[in-house]
Amino acid sequence: MLDVIIGAVVYSNFLALLSIGLCLTILTSRVSSFAHGDLAMVGVYTAYTLSAALGLSPYLCLPAAFAVGGFVALLSFALVFEPLRRAGAGPVTLMVASLALDMVIRYSLHIYADLLQRTFNVYGRDFMFNDARLLVGGVSIPGALIGSSLTASVLLVMLYLLLYRTKLGVAMRATIENQQLAMVLGINVRRVFAISWFISGALAATAGVFLPFRLLVNPDTGWSMLLSMFASVIVGGVGSLLGSVLGAYLIGSSELLFSYLLASLGISTAYRPLVVFAAIVATLMLSPRGLSILWSNGVKGSWRS
Amino acid sequence: MEILSFLVSFGTLYSIYLILASSMELEYGELGLPSFAKAAFLALGAFTVGALSVRVGALILGLALEGEFKLTSYFYATLITRQIASHPLLGLVIFALPFAVAVPLAALLGAAVTYPALRLREDYLAITLIAFSEIVRVLARNYEPLVGGTFGAGVVNPFAWLGSPWRELVLFLVSLAMGFGIWLLTFKISTSPLGRILRAIRDDEIAAKAYGLDVAKVRAWVLAVGSAMAAVAGVLYAFYMGAVNPDDFTVSRTFIVVLMVVLGGRGNPYSPLVGAGIYLLIDRAMIFVKHLLPIPFDVNYASYVILGALLIVLLIKRPGGLVPERPLLTVKEIVNISERGDETLLFHKRE
Repeated sequence: MLDVIIGAVVYSNFLALLSIGLCLTILTSRVSSFAHGDLAMVGVYTAYTLSAALGLSPYLCLPAAFAVGGFVALLSFALVFEPLRRAGAGPVTLMVASLALDMVIRYSLHIYADLLQRTFNVYGRDFMFNDARLLVGGVSIPGALIGSSLTASVLLVMLYLLLYRTKLGVAMRATIENQQLAMVLGINVRRVFAISWFISGALAATAGVFLPFRLLVNPDTGWSMLLSMFASVIVGGVGSLLGSVLGAYLIGSSELLFSYLLASLGISTAYRPLVVFAAIVATLMLSPRGLSILWSNGVKGSWRS
Repeated sequence: MEILSFLVSFGTLYSIYLILASSMELEYGELGLPSFAKAAFLALGAFTVGALSVRVGALILGLALEGEFKLTSYFYATLITRQIASHPLLGLVIFALPFAVAVPLAALLGAAVTYPALRLREDYLAITLIAFSEIVRVLARNYEPLVGGTFGAGVVNPFAWLGSPWRELVLFLVSLAMGFGIWLLTFKISTSPLGRILRAIRDDEIAAKAYGLDVAKVRAWVLAVGSAMAAVAGVLYAFYMGAVNPDDFTVSRTFIVVLMVVLGGRGNPYSPLVGAGIYLLIDRAMIFVKHLLPIPFDVNYASYVILGALLIVLLIKRPGGLVPERPLLTVKEIVNISERGDETLLFHKRE
């Protein structure tokens, strides 16, 4: 049971960083990106390459994953979504483009995994990171629990400070609130988009580094977790960054509890996505604005029709 | 002879993709819905064949199925196929039954699954459909009595009584007839007043609502029709492959169908004909290149990277596709009239 709780916390930390990034790009550039899960895998493979090539501990690779993930996200914004936005593409076209981007990133990672396997003679797929265990008060605790909790809280606090304590943050929030008005006021909206894509990718890739501590990963792992990310965003009420973080902890823990339940009933844990799907459907049926009705009463956000 | 069998195989696959692309054209091209569960409804048709062909065949022949389904389905499929060689009627029953089961089921599910998201923005619909698609695959993969899980299921050949070259040819002709029938239906919808309603909703949902259209209802109907079409394609696909495997129906397949419609030209009813053909030609060309070039990784990965990049480039550089949607004639005339001024407008009207 302790292991289930530890797993739930590590997984929820991961989901929180991914869904807040996803929410950020949905709010600013209006792209519901289906390639978001793949950015986490970019982080995984960055850390894995560095630890295979230089023998570094995965924890030391976090800054590299942050930079590479941010760069890949920035690149995909500049090469895919910005040209489409300029051409006046609607939300459905942007989604289709993100599906195509998912194909490009995911299968590029597959090719990369093959090449990695040949170059360094390590497993390209289905690998795990060795984790240090720390003794806290006589209880042995995996390092990933502390590492991911620390990373998630530091990054979330930094994002909060960026959004609410800097001039750039004001510009970003203004763009979220009303894009046209922000442009009229002289805010460089394109720069805001680019920065939010960088942040989104960097958070995703950093979060990704903690995945191989708990489970076997391959290039498709990020894609398979995409549903959970969108579920977190929807449960949180699309349009609320705080909501998506709360949603992530809710979805993450209920997913792990559900699979624990399945395992103790002797049923395959592969049915785990059912609880995510149920959460999406229940939210849409009962309260499409999700958890955000708890603290906001105005009609906000970009997913309203 | 080899050329002929290649053409028959290519033609059958083309007909199947023509059905899928037609349904995608209707949902995405005409109505603008991100219909991201195409693979799931294709799978629904295929799974119906996988689950029923052997069992119904055994039931009619009075065979008792022994052992686990996942281990014995291929054996029984061969056994029943041999029986069909002398009982044409049995073959026809096994061929027709999956259509009768899968098509209504897909239509119902297509509307029911999307019900929570029909009134909301398209993003919700897309994510609900992707979630559904993955769940169908995961369920089929893990619930082995259905189609044998990762083992897959054997499928009976319903045209075994025709002998070797003819059974493939008949399946091809039946697929072709169904493919063109469904494409013609899409074409008729697109060029009828109903087609204008769909495009009106796609272009401006609020305006369409203001004209009194029930947008959610139209979406539900189109998703039901599109999903039923995909189920037809799935049934044909299972008989064409001669086996069913759940891992064949990933989101990559949905992506390929979207690519066909964008390649052909979203909103143009000819796009399924063009898109499916060109995609299959690219696909065959890649298989050909694979044999020529030594590449140090799995070429299937590279082909998905290339196709993904192709779709992105198309969306940016040539969003209209190869046969772009033709703008409505009325719009053009109104623009011309307004340029000429009021007097000519009166004159124009009297003409």
